[in-house]
Order: sequence, then structure tokens, then C-alpha cells
Amino acid sequence: MTLLRLENITKRFGGLVAVDSVSLEVAHGEIIAIVGPNGAGKTTLFNVINGVFFPDEGRIFFEGKDITMLPPYRRAPLGIGRTFQIPRPYASASVRENIAIGGMFGSQGHKLSVDECMDMADRYIEMIGLTEHQNKPAGGLTPTEKKLVEIARALAMRPKLLLMDEAMAGMNPKDIDYMVDLIKQIKEVEKIAIVAQVEHIMRAVARLAERVMVMHQGAKLVDETTEQALSDPRVIEVYLGHPPEEKDAES
Amino acid sequence: MNKTAQKYLPLLPLLVAYTGLYLVGRTLPGMWQLIAMIAFYCALGQAFNLFLGMTGYVDFGYVAFLGVGTYGMALAISRFYDAGLGIGLIGIGLIMAVGISTLLSLAVGAVALRLRGAYFAIATIGVNEGFRYFIEGAKIWNGSAGIIFSGQMNKAFGREVANVLSTYWADVMVFIIAVLSAFVTLYYMRSKIGYALTALREDEDAAKAMGINVTKFKIIAFITSASFAGLLGAVAWAVKLTYVFPPDVFEILYTIEAIIIVLLGGAGTLLGPLVGGLIYGLSKYYLAIILPGFQLLIFAPIIIAIIVLFPEGTVGVLKKKVQGTALEKIIV
Amino acid sequence: MLHGQLIGNLIQGLILGAIYGMATMGLSLIFGVLKVVNVGHGAFMMVGAFITLWLFNSFGAIPLVAIPLAFAVGMALGFLFYYSSIKRLLKAPELASLLATFSFGIILEELIKLIFGSEFRGYNWALGKIKIPFTVLPFTKLFAFFGSIIIALLLYVWFKKTRAGTALRSVVEDDEGARVCGVNVGWQYALSFSLGIGLTVTSGVLLTMFIPVGINPYMGGGYTLKAFVIAVLGGLASPYGAFFGGLIFGLIENGSYTLLALIPNVEPFALTRFLSFVMLLIILLIRPTGLFRTK
Repeated sequence: MTLLRLENITKRFGGLVAVDSVSLEVAHGEIIAIVGPNGAGKTTLFNVINGVFFPDEGRIFFEGKDITMLPPYRRAPLGIGRTFQIPRPYASASVRENIAIGGMFGSQGHKLSVDECMDMADRYIEMIGLTEHQNKPAGGLTPTEKKLVEIARALAMRPKLLLMDEAMAGMNPKDIDYMVDLIKQIKEVEKIAIVAQVEHIMRAVARLAERVMVMHQGAKLVDETTEQALSDPRVIEVYLGHPPEEKDAES
Repeated sequence: MNKTAQKYLPLLPLLVAYTGLYLVGRTLPGMWQLIAMIAFYCALGQAFNLFLGMTGYVDFGYVAFLGVGTYGMALAISRFYDAGLGIGLIGIGLIMAVGISTLLSLAVGAVALRLRGAYFAIATIGVNEGFRYFIEGAKIWNGSAGIIFSGQMNKAFGREVANVLSTYWADVMVFIIAVLSAFVTLYYMRSKIGYALTALREDEDAAKAMGINVTKFKIIAFITSASFAGLLGAVAWAVKLTYVFPPDVFEILYTIEAIIIVLLGGAGTLLGPLVGGLIYGLSKYYLAIILPGFQLLIFAPIIIAIIVLFPEGTVGVLKKKVQGTALEKIIV
Repeated sequence: MLHGQLIGNLIQGLILGAIYGMATMGLSLIFGVLKVVNVGHGAFMMVGAFITLWLFNSFGAIPLVAIPLAFAVGMALGFLFYYSSIKRLLKAPELASLLATFSFGIILEELIKLIFGSEFRGYNWALGKIKIPFTVLPFTKLFAFFGSIIIALLLYVWFKKTRAGTALRSVVEDDEGARVCGVNVGWQYALSFSLGIGLTVTSGVLLTMFIPVGINPYMGGGYTLKAFVIAVLGGLASPYGAFFGGLIFGLIENGSYTLLALIPNVEPFALTRFLSFVMLLIILLIRPTGLFRTK
């Protein structure tokens, strides 16, 4: 069964069309990379899925249920977790509390006590490798550590779908490798679907995603397997501005 | 030690401090007035902290809740003094105080709590004045003449009991309100409510995305804080003074004092209002002797200094200092 | 009879509304540029009122002389408060700047109380009056009316026609973009805060020309509330919106006073003040972005 289905989603800001009639289907346990340059509408699309914005046109279904007009705080308990482009952990709360708060209001939140959420947090702290920092306020962490805390917080929500906003932006190659391994581990252990957005097609995406959706100026340009996307001239054109042959000729 | 006991351990220094204050007031001659004043400021701080400290929202009209609480008690005593309720009349008054302040907080909250940050502050700044002018303008609850009910107090309880109620039990009830609101603060801190409030205080949008119904939790904190304010007005102003005048009980000065106390002590901490109330109460008392009329001129720059230099307040700084030591469990 | 009285009061309301509008432009300017709400707004108006009172009673200087002085004092206070605290609070949680501006107001009130005492004062600048249909207008009120309009126009011209104004506008629209284009955003913040305070203190002078009595250190509280109603009417971040918001508010205030006075057994003055609070809540409830914003 389809986990998430977007039908012709359009979102405008004034005269600007940020997302232009995008449709997408995500199956349980699938990893999809949304690729596109800055301003392609990726984050807006995430915000529409997550409920920050309501779409001007189109519908959103989650496990067959129409969630188009549901506020964000009612979508999260259904099983939609997310991270942000610039990590936004709760600065004054400790790493452990940050993650536990995810658990308290996530899909299992109504069943879990505060103590159970704290215990559950320990598991995710271990997964992201921040055990020694667990009692530090999250505001004092490095950007990469903050990103990890956000991922753990989202996982503690026990989502069925995880939206990762610019998961690897601004990271060094070592951190990227770590992140890729972590995402794979999440897929294997947690068995959830992941929609990650990345600015550029890169090695990391190839190792991760099964499918790639390329966005360009708000519209869906390509939706195909990763292998196909990597050799698709349209995709290369979006990034380089001209077909690959010319580039070869120039160089 | 089991988990629950450990969670509520921070109540220990609090109870010790309030008991100590009470004993000082009872045993040292001439101290009761000062101690009662300090207890009032601690209670005011504890109640205000439940909202300002836990949500990071400033309610500039906070005193309105004390004001309507005062009216709740005044109305109960002046209307039902001859109903033969005995001391139960005070109970009715407390219920009416909580009832009216809760209603007002629901009405204000329904509008203001849908708004963010600055807009919320703007919406609240006129609540106390607005309500005062409503009472005076529409001439409800005896309008600008206020309600004087010392006569009814005497008739309801007898002169002696009424006197003890005003001069002693009103202050004791202030102590109880201080402890009770501190207990509720800690209860919230240790429950999902507190974690939700931490989340929304730090980042409201992220909190929403994480499944937190921020409006609901803001309203919980707002109503709780307003009810304690209502109780405080009912005992510290109505039972103690036996009259109520609109300009007195809607005076913005008390909101200012509440802000000073919470910031001095440390917003969002459990012990902060106690420390802040103690510092403020003592300095106000002695400043009134050395430099009468100067206390706001001294405290207003102090608020700015705290905000700029150490926004965590006294207890916030202390908390950082004891991190990793045995005291960590007690200082919250 | 009632008609005439109502129209007369509406004319007075329009004149007072222009002053209200001018008095709120500083608040909107500061919010528009720095996203800081000046909760001490009314206290700055009070300072302007006391400058007028002091010049008039001590030196016999007419209130028009007080305008440049009030503006200069306001600018100076603005820079002082900006560099001593606001500057460091721009990145802090909103609570910080709210409490800081609130404290500025308290400091000013207490200082003025220390210097001048807390009794109600007034001055008497009699210039004669003009009779127009339905009402009588003292020339002082007319001066205040045209003074407000001239100051509002000057601000408009400064904004649209000067380099400094253009730089400021670019900061309002997009401060990152302005930074990239070489605008010294830090200085623009300081300037607009001070300009906003300067305008607010000046408005206190104009206000006393309309109402030359009731001057006391705590007179500002009511005006803070009115300014918020007006600013929210006009969209909070727009100084021109604020000016028109002021006109509307002046009309509503005086019109409703006239009508409330007809209801038996109520206090129309107190109810009018209650009404401004209710208006604030209603506008915030239905159109927090202001009446003039078309989305």
C-alpha cells in the first residue's frame, strides 16, 4: 500500500509558484531523494507534506487518509517525522530530553510515559553516538551534532515516514559518510520510508536512495530510479545549464 | 530512592525555605509584616513564572487576574455573608476567585494565545486597564466606588475571627499558595506538559512539527497561572484588606513587580521565584526606609542589566554552577 | 441636535486622530525595521509633554519651540537605549526586547517623577479660537493638526527621496539583501530606533497642544494602549498605515464617546477606554496584519 500520496500539489506565494502541480507516491520503507538546486521548491514541498503550509491546490493522502488540511501537530502523531534545513533542537533542553520529547508527542506518544520516553531516548542516543553528551544542553553542540540530535528526535517519534531536509548540507566528507551509514542503518533497523532532500546529486545519494525525484523551478522534472537519474541528460542539464556533451567538448 | 521521590526532591529546599520564613515571622517580634510581604512576592513570582517562565510569553496584563480574584472573594463575602456558611464562606470566595480568573484567562487566551510573541504581548497590555474601565464604565460590581466589606466580614465570622482572618490567616494562605504553585510548577516540569512547554518556548514551529499542540499547552499554562493569581488576589488583597477599589487591584505596578521577581530569580526555574521574591521583598522593604520612592528607578535598570548580562537569573546561573555535582538534583 | 454634536465631535476626533497617527509612526517604524515592540511607547510621549510644559512654564517658550528640542532629546534617548541594550537583544528571544523597552518606560516615568513630581499639571497657551460649523477649534489644536501632517509628510519625503531613506527602506524589505548591497544594517537599526523614539517624543509635544492638561509622569500608559490599537489597525510595521490608523481611531473614539454618553447609568469616558481595548482584541482576532494590507 502507498504510504504517502501527493496529488497535483501547488503552492503559491503571491505571484511566485513555489511548488507547481507535483505528484508523488512513497511506498512503505522506501528511500527517495528529492534533488534540485536552491529555490527549486523542495523545502516548500516538505512544509506542505508536514503541514506548515496548506497547498493552494491538490491533495495529500497518508495511508489512504486525506490529511490535506490537517495542522502539523496532528500529522506528526500519524507517523510523519521531519528534520530541518538548519537544525532546530530545543536549545536549553539536554540531548536526552530533546530526543525524549520526540517520543512523547510522536506516533506512540499517547501510550508512553515520560520515563518510558527517557528510556527510549537512550537507544537513539547510542545510535547517533552522542552518549557522552547526553546531559548537555543541545544549544551548545556542533552543527553536525545538532543534526544528529534532530534525527534521533524524529526517530523517537516512531514515524512511518521521515522527511530529512538537507541532510548533508555543509558537512565534510567524513561526516557525510557517517550520515549515509546512519541513514542506511535507520532503513534497516527502523524500516521506515525516508524522503531526503539534497541540493546536488552526489556519491552519497547514489549509495542511499532507490529513487530520485528532481525538482526544477517548483515542478517535478524527473521521477525515476537512481541509476536512471544519474545518466539522465535532463538531470545533468538542470545542474550544469547545458547538455553534458558540450561540457565534454569544452573541457 | 525511588524515581518519584527523586523527581520531587527539589521541593525539599523550597519547603525548608518557606517553613524557615514562616518561623522567622512567627518568632521574631515585629517581623510578620515583612515576612508576609515577602511571602506575597514569592507567591506572585511562583504564579507568574508558571506562564512567563515556562512559555517565554510576556503577559503585561497579568495583574488583571489578581484583580478579578479579589473581586471574586469580595463578591462572595458581600453577597453571602448572612447565608450562615461560617468559614465555608471563604471557600466559596476562593472558588469564585478561581472561577472568574479562569473565565477571564479563557477569554483573553482564546484571542491572545493564537498570536505569536510580540502580538501576544500587545494583546495583553490593555487587559488590566480594559477590565478596570469596564467595571467603572458599565458600573458593574459597584463600579468605581469599589466594594468595602469589612462590615459583612464581621457579621459573617464575628469581629474576632474576622480580625484573625485578615491579620494572620490571609498571610498563611499566601504561604500555602506559594507552596502549591511551586508544587504545580514542578509537577508540570516533570510531566509531558512541561516538556511540551520547553519545546514551544525554544522553538514553536519545530514543536508543532514534532506533534505538539502548542496552543493547548500554552492555554494550560495560562489558565493555571491565572488561577493562582486569582487565589492570591482573593486572600492577599480581599481577605487581608477587606475592600476592593478598581484602580488599586488593576495597577500595572504588580505586573512590573512580578516580572522583576521572575527575572531576578531565573525564569522557568522552580526556585527562581522564591529567590527573586526574597531579594525583591527585602530590598523593597529597606529601600522604602532608606530611599523612599526610588525602588522602581533602581529595579528597572536592573531588569535591563539582567536581560542583557545574565538572562538565566540567579537560580539559572546557580544551576549551571552545580551541574554534575550532588546539588544538581535539588537546584531546579 | 445630536447630529450636530456628533459631527462636531467627529471633527475633533479627526484632528486628534492625526496627532494619534503621527504619534504611532515611531512605534511602527521601530517594529518594521527591528521587529521590536516598544512597550514603553507612552512614556516617551510623556517626556515630550514634559519638555513642552517645562519650556512654557519656565521660559515662556511657545510649544512650537519644543518640537525640535523634543525631537533631539528623543533621538538622543533612542541612541542611548539602542547602544546600551537593544543592540545586544536583537538576536535574543522576543521576551528580552519586550521587557527592555518596558523597563525604559519605567525608568523615564520614575526619573520624570523625581524631577517634576507626580501631580497633574497643565499649561495655558491661549491663541484664540475659530468657529466652524458644528464645533469650535482653538488655534492650538489646528497647529497640532497641521504640525502632525507636516511631520508625517516630512518622514514620507525623507523615506522616498533621500539616500538615507532609501537605505532604510531596503533594510525593511530585506535586511540580508541590504547587507549584501553594502548598506550598514547595524547603523540603520540604530538610526531607525532613534528616529522612531524622536518622532514619539515629538508627538508628546503635539498632544499637549491638543490637550494641555493632565500632564503627569504616568500619563503614557493609556497612550501606549491606543498606539497599539492604531498600529495594529495600520498593520504594525507600516508608519503610513499607522497614520491612517490614527485618523480612524480618533473618529471611532470620539464618535463612540458621543454615542455611549446617551446610554443611561454608564460612565462614557471609562467605557470609551474599555472600547479601545476591545477593538484591539477584535482586530487582532480577525486581521492581525492590519486593515490596509491586501495580503
